[in-house]
Amino acid sequence: MSDSASHWEVGTDIGGTFTDIIAIRRESAETRIAKVPSRPQAPVQAMLEAIEAVGLRKSEVKRFVHGTTRVTNAIVEGRLPKVALVATDGFADVLEIARYRRRDLYRLDVPPKSPPLVPAELCFGLAERLDHEGRVLKALDEAEIERLVGWLKQTGVQSVAVALLHAYANPLHEKILGERLKDVVAHVSLSHEVNPEAREYERTSATVFNAAAMPIAVEYLSELEQRLPIGPGLQVFHSAGAMVPISAVKRRPLVMAMSGPAAGVSASVSIARQLGTSRMLTFDMGGTTTDVCLIVDGQAEMTDGRMLGDKPLRQPMLAVHSIGAGGGSIVRNGPGGLTVGPESAGSEPGPACYGRGGTEPTITDANAVLGYLNPETRLGDRIGINVEAAARVIEPIAQALGLSITETALGIIKIANATMARALRRVTVERGIDGRDCTLLAFGGGGPMHAAGLADLYGIESIVVPSASSAFSALGCLTADFSFLQQQTLRAALDGIDLSRVSERIATLIGDASAPLIANGVAQAEIDVELAALMRYAAQNDAIPVPFTLPLDATRLKTDFLARHRELFGYATNESCVIESVRVQARRPSTTVVSRPAIAVRPVSTARRICSFDGSHDIATAIVDRAAVFDVVSGPAIIEDAWSTVVVPPGWQARPDATGNLFLTRGTP
Amino acid sequence: MKLDPFVVEVIRHGFSAAAEEMSLVMTRSARSPLLREAGDLSSAITDGRGGLVGQGRDIPIHLGAMAYTIPELLKVVPADTLNDGDVLIYNLGALGGNHLNDVKVVRPVFVDGEIVAFAVSLAHWPDIGGTWPGSYFAKAIDTFQEAMRIPPVLIATAAGVSAPIMQLLKANVRDPEACEGDLLAQIAATKAGERRIVELCRAHGKAVFTATQARLHDLSEIEMREAIRELPDGVYEGEDYLDDGDVNNAPARIHVKITIAGDEATFDLSGSCDRVSNFCNTTPFMARSAVAYAARIMSGRDMQQNVGALRPLTIITRPGSILEPGWTASVAAGNHETSMRIVDAIFRAMQDTIPQRLSAGGATTAGVLFFAEPRQNGSWSMLYEVHGGGEGARHDRPGISATRVHLSNTSNTPVEVIEANYAIRVEQQAIRQHSGGAGTYRGGDGVVRAYRILAPSMHLTTCIERMVIPPFGMQGGEPGKPCRISLIRQGASVAIDGKSNLVLQQGDLVTIETCGGGGYGAEAAEMKGGR
Repeated sequence: MSDSASHWEVGTDIGGTFTDIIAIRRESAETRIAKVPSRPQAPVQAMLEAIEAVGLRKSEVKRFVHGTTRVTNAIVEGRLPKVALVATDGFADVLEIARYRRRDLYRLDVPPKSPPLVPAELCFGLAERLDHEGRVLKALDEAEIERLVGWLKQTGVQSVAVALLHAYANPLHEKILGERLKDVVAHVSLSHEVNPEAREYERTSATVFNAAAMPIAVEYLSELEQRLPIGPGLQVFHSAGAMVPISAVKRRPLVMAMSGPAAGVSASVSIARQLGTSRMLTFDMGGTTTDVCLIVDGQAEMTDGRMLGDKPLRQPMLAVHSIGAGGGSIVRNGPGGLTVGPESAGSEPGPACYGRGGTEPTITDANAVLGYLNPETRLGDRIGINVEAAARVIEPIAQALGLSITETALGIIKIANATMARALRRVTVERGIDGRDCTLLAFGGGGPMHAAGLADLYGIESIVVPSASSAFSALGCLTADFSFLQQQTLRAALDGIDLSRVSERIATLIGDASAPLIANGVAQAEIDVELAALMRYAAQNDAIPVPFTLPLDATRLKTDFLARHRELFGYATNESCVIESVRVQARRPSTTVVSRPAIAVRPVSTARRICSFDGSHDIATAIVDRAAVFDVVSGPAIIEDAWSTVVVPPGWQARPDATGNLFLTRGTP
Repeated sequence: MKLDPFVVEVIRHGFSAAAEEMSLVMTRSARSPLLREAGDLSSAITDGRGGLVGQGRDIPIHLGAMAYTIPELLKVVPADTLNDGDVLIYNLGALGGNHLNDVKVVRPVFVDGEIVAFAVSLAHWPDIGGTWPGSYFAKAIDTFQEAMRIPPVLIATAAGVSAPIMQLLKANVRDPEACEGDLLAQIAATKAGERRIVELCRAHGKAVFTATQARLHDLSEIEMREAIRELPDGVYEGEDYLDDGDVNNAPARIHVKITIAGDEATFDLSGSCDRVSNFCNTTPFMARSAVAYAARIMSGRDMQQNVGALRPLTIITRPGSILEPGWTASVAAGNHETSMRIVDAIFRAMQDTIPQRLSAGGATTAGVLFFAEPRQNGSWSMLYEVHGGGEGARHDRPGISATRVHLSNTSNTPVEVIEANYAIRVEQQAIRQHSGGAGTYRGGDGVVRAYRILAPSMHLTTCIERMVIPPFGMQGGEPGKPCRISLIRQGASVAIDGKSNLVLQQGDLVTIETCGGGGYGAEAAEMKGGR
């Protein structure tokens, strides 16, 4: 274990291409950042290499938190291990039937639905039945369990998902199976544990995702525990925006499905709190996707789930909205107009300017043509930026439109930004907030490059580019609270609510959410509990979160619900309402403080480059080393460090603060 | 006006985003399961004269009809009589309508005193009065028996929602509380649309904004003309049949004669049968909506759906026919059944010319089961269930099972939601094995869903097509199995029709088996995929 002199806390974000790492030592207020290539085949090895890359030995690490897209990538790329599904007899086809809806309204060339997550031959109908109040209509008997066990052994699967009708109302049968199956297969996922909420297709889908993620997660987490034996200091970031101990994740790996993007948002939350920004929009633009999220009063918005392709992943998580547009998104000029994405050049071959065989124009190529990218940029095995190659692929579009290459590139950026603006609008509208009142927090490879243009288009006044913008998700792993979240269907009408019964259920939930923290040495007194009732009118579907405190006050809840409904939808009626479910978050607030990172110093060209901006083409533009920014930089300027580029267009200023954040605003300093 | 192509694209994004936002407001805040679970609603943005410029990812049949919703309205409510803050409600067939359940809520969007756009929210009300709960009355002799007819009236003005109109509407529907919530959600949706449109217009200036709307129509027209020019000139005929409703209740013929000439196409539907004796009549707007969908599939292009794409198309219906039966004919089911048969007939007309763009016949029926139980206070608790079925196979792949095809795209209601809200137990929900037609590629399979009635009594409406005439196979593929419906009462089978209104008893078991899709190609099914 670590000796007392070393108190390094390390956060890493394992992305598809790079593993980012950030290390912090509180005593000396020291921060180190690095990037190493990810190793999809040996993720643990990459994490250990990342520790070396910031000049640390394993024994110096006191706490190690990682976020990863490993689970999500496995899901998206369809690389999930074989899983069996046990459903109530008569309903075993739940996944194939889904909700009937097809993906695309006007295309017959693509199948209306993707294949079910579990093929028919691995779905088992189990004779048992509950009703919606949890009453047993048909008991699960021993012979049926034997029949299931026999079948499971035959299939040879290592992981099984059990999702029985109405199990959210009564887990009895699932619990029995949990006990009986644990010696039959290596991994068992029970729907009442994974996602105890009504609607069978969505719950089953979540449970199957969890079952499929389990073998992957258990394997690499166990390896990590072995090779970095620091006990409870070893933590994983989860989709709801906090970290959890590894022991808890092994049973519910689905909680880390969105942990990468969530970590970036979490870092944003600490910045929003530090700066006292009441409304912030995160803008994380990567190679193939862009993630945005809304932060109000230092809290990131939560959602009940998201779609992965056409499959629902229902699970409380940060409301990160992802769109299929990033630096590698391909630009097309069709008869219907110019479009950007969702097809991407990916990392292979990548944009044309990477000089690795890319032949289609991308957003990154447009940025290269405009002079924003340093031609000498070296990242991993990529050598330089080939501006000529970028211009070559943009030229055909320019010719078709009768415009210059520069005008065309600026237009491409404008359309890309319109796509981004739509995402920003989406997350603010859902919350009834005007996005123009928000501060834009830009990070990821493309965020700081596009932020000012996006702000101009959307009418946003201020932008923050955080100090560790290139390793921002890794940073989020460290600055997040230590927390665990439980959500359960309650479905209690507010009129005539049985307060004592409901309070009891809430007390149990609080216990469940706190247990993993207490098991990891957090004292009960350090734990903050946040409660939200997900409420709706009796006849509605979507419940909206209404925060509350104990003791439960039904009148207060109703007033708050009406106010929230009016805020969201512009009206409220006096119909009866229902608490659909209760969300409990137990957390120990973060105390980690970040100082200005000592970015590995690297010579950046401090000369000038010819850049073009909206309205002013081909002007000699100052190139500034970010490490050297201690005063206001007036646009036009490009601020660079080893891994990121901040575009400051004419009419914009960038002002640094002591910790290295950059504030971009319009007008005179 | 010379337009920056990038600005056109930015504004186009803005229109789609505004429409999508409207649908989001609806599904998140509506009351009826039909809207919130099944998503039987659509949103659209039109230009100042009513030409569609933006739509949500909703229901094609609605979106097609929206091309006519505003232009027809403006013929009876002149634009200069409208004020900022006005919101109109209407459902009449003559005003670009489809069936009375689909209620349109429309808000003119003003910028500097001028209408620059309309925000339209269309929602299928689960009940809108009339003879039978749910407003689907199979034997209705006219629309007066079907449901309440709403001419364009102001449901809201700048002063707020009109209490008298709200009272009038609530007094004529069977679930007034849910109706009010749904309607407020529709009004809120148009408000959300208005907000976005005004922003968009102000950001780019009115001149550019208006010119862009016109440009979007022109771009779609150009693309549709190019697509038609690629099709070989000629006359193509196709037909398909509804199960019944013609003279002596014989199958009702839908016939199309398509003439492709240069960059224009004529779809002549005059050969379709006369007005039918059940609720499968429909409006000429539905015929146009179905043709618009089919033409887009024929084009093989992913173009913007708007009025411009319709300009090269001439669509002919015959007065007195099932597709132009007069404005008081019963039309409840024609909306989703007869319109689908038009698509089927067009596919059959083109199947030898462009088979690779089409698919064999699919589950072109909504397979509606509507359950209604009276509450003690006199209002009704109602469940509108649609059922997916098999998709038709294609030249390169089998059909997918349990999905919605072509003009529809509504969802099922989860078993756990049904059982928590209605006196019904769902006893089975499964794929209907081997119901897809054989072929080189098999058609997709239908579904089976069985409902046990727990209430002392319950009203049931069935509206199911493709029970007699199955989905067709293509290029030698076999047809899918037709739909079936059964009722078991106290252990004995009771005859039940696909278009009926009846009262169920406690313990009754109603089982629907939906049709499979047609197969594609004559080779044996086992050779290449399928289930």
